[in-house]
Amino acid sequence: MQDLNAPANPLETLAYIIAQQISDHSVVYIGTGIPMVAGILAKKTHAPNITLVYESGGQDPIEGDMPWSVGCPMTWRKSPTIMEMSYSFAQCYNGYVDIGFLGFAQVDMYGNVNTHMIGKDYHHPKVRLTGSGGNNDLSSLTEKMVLVGLQTPDKFPEKVDFITSVGHLTGGNSRQEAGLIGNGPAAVISPWGVYDFHPVSKRMRVKTLTPGVTFELAQQLTGFELVKPEGDIPETKLVTPEALQIIRTQVDPRGVFTQMPAA
Amino acid sequence: MAKYLYNEEAVANLRISDTSVLDRLVDFESARAAHLKKEHAKKDKRMTIGEAVDAFVKDGDVITDGGFSYVRTPHQAFYEVIRQGKKNLQMIGAPNTNQSFFITYGLVTHSHSSYTGAEMRGIDKVYDRALKAGQIQILSEWSHGGVAQAFKAAQLGVAGVFSKQMLGSDIVRYNPYLKVVQNPLKGVHDPVVFVPAIYPDISIIHCHMADKYGNAYIYGPAVNDLAVAAAARKLIITAEEIVPENDIRYNRQGQIIPFFYADAVVEMPFGALPGSMPGCYYWPRQWWEKCMRFGGASAENNKAFCDEWIMGVKNQFEFVDKLGGAKWIAEARRQTKAAEGDNEDIDFSYEEYTLKHDSGIYY
Repeated sequence: MQDLNAPANPLETLAYIIAQQISDHSVVYIGTGIPMVAGILAKKTHAPNITLVYESGGQDPIEGDMPWSVGCPMTWRKSPTIMEMSYSFAQCYNGYVDIGFLGFAQVDMYGNVNTHMIGKDYHHPKVRLTGSGGNNDLSSLTEKMVLVGLQTPDKFPEKVDFITSVGHLTGGNSRQEAGLIGNGPAAVISPWGVYDFHPVSKRMRVKTLTPGVTFELAQQLTGFELVKPEGDIPETKLVTPEALQIIRTQVDPRGVFTQMPAA
Repeated sequence: MAKYLYNEEAVANLRISDTSVLDRLVDFESARAAHLKKEHAKKDKRMTIGEAVDAFVKDGDVITDGGFSYVRTPHQAFYEVIRQGKKNLQMIGAPNTNQSFFITYGLVTHSHSSYTGAEMRGIDKVYDRALKAGQIQILSEWSHGGVAQAFKAAQLGVAGVFSKQMLGSDIVRYNPYLKVVQNPLKGVHDPVVFVPAIYPDISIIHCHMADKYGNAYIYGPAVNDLAVAAAARKLIITAEEIVPENDIRYNRQGQIIPFFYADAVVEMPFGALPGSMPGCYYWPRQWWEKCMRFGGASAENNKAFCDEWIMGVKNQFEFVDKLGGAKWIAEARRQTKAAEGDNEDIDFSYEEYTLKHDSGIYY
């Protein structure tokens, strides 16, 4: 059982920050893990009228317990319709989805994502990861993407080891040149900061930092040169006590995604 | 002239020396010929899973994963394929979670890969080990949506579709079937990916109900299975229950696979176990945690775990007994009904399996 009075852990912080990206009345495509917590938190707080969409085909469920998987019945609980997979992603192409949230193993300076393998040699990886799943599809098609994950220099390299999903490719208008739909990643969220992309170069730029994190520290946690914004860098708004209680008592009471996973 | 002009960069990147290994998946002519040759008469196709696997799963076949990862996946039929020791299979699916059970016993040698893993339960270390050891070769990288479009193209009855997915990524550089071309109707630069229709040799699809002819009903997410059923050269339907044809006609319109796609119909209650079956049973969650965490830790662990749960049981009923029998059935039904909003909400807490804590109870 969780200690309801413990200070927020990094995963709870992350869930709250992600939830703040969601506007009410929008259609939100949700990947597995922390984005599920964030989507449901948004729905129970400032955005009660959002519609959640999941890649297994569930959409617009009546919320229940925290889904155990993106294929869990909680993702299609009394849904008016359940889409076949090809049609589910097509909703992003066709402009019905406002924002999507995805995880990454690596993200580079242009917001390209790797969930395939770590290492320089495809045939002899240090570790093989899951592959794309729906990651590429959402990144290729969704109007506005938000990427979510942990931040270390290895996880934020200058170039990802394998481009699973195109963000801003090589910067500038290279994403559009490659033929992709939508605006690409709008933000990258880690426990240490929220990053956006410079409007012209499309390089990753600091937007806000977690209280106590300086630009220099964020830079040390990054494998490439971060763009420093003009003027003071605002602090990221941290999870409020009210929101933290909602996460712990209503959204993820068993800590499926917001407690550190067991070995 | 070669029959197929594969993406040469991808063939080189994947180090495929003989591209004929790629041909079956996109060979429309042979798929159509197989569909024409099938039994089209409305005949009783019921048989046992042993008979169906023996008759229709052949060494070297391209086989699909079904359902979604561990939802309505034909696990128990897969275990029969393993027990019968089929060889040299190619596997494709979106997701392709279950090839590791085949890899453990050396059945799958080639993988068409869109996703292999079990979400928050962790990466698939069996797959990782097999790739590093050269036990399996990846023939193509995909996104989920890319595979879904390739199956859907087959069901639509078209040679392929032009997609905006996978453009600019390394996936198109590691997939011999994909070609980036200019949208032929656009006067301005507009790259699209040609995704060909794909035709697996054999699909096994687990459904809620089927009649004896093979009309089969799916409740909950169909994922890619309606398209897969139309594409596959051979199709085995396994079903939680066999119902009169009129039950399908009068009560089950919606997500239906037509009878003339099916080669075999197998009554197989608990056929999705250890996966979940919408409306019927929830996951034994600790089973998956043990599979990924204990089995993932070493090849020996994985073999021991699979030997116990796959080779150590004869059929799904022994699997149910091993999980906890009637008590498991009642609890798993209650859990899925509650998850679906068809029962009072229940407490979904459970004792998670960890390497330090194995309660011996897997639900």
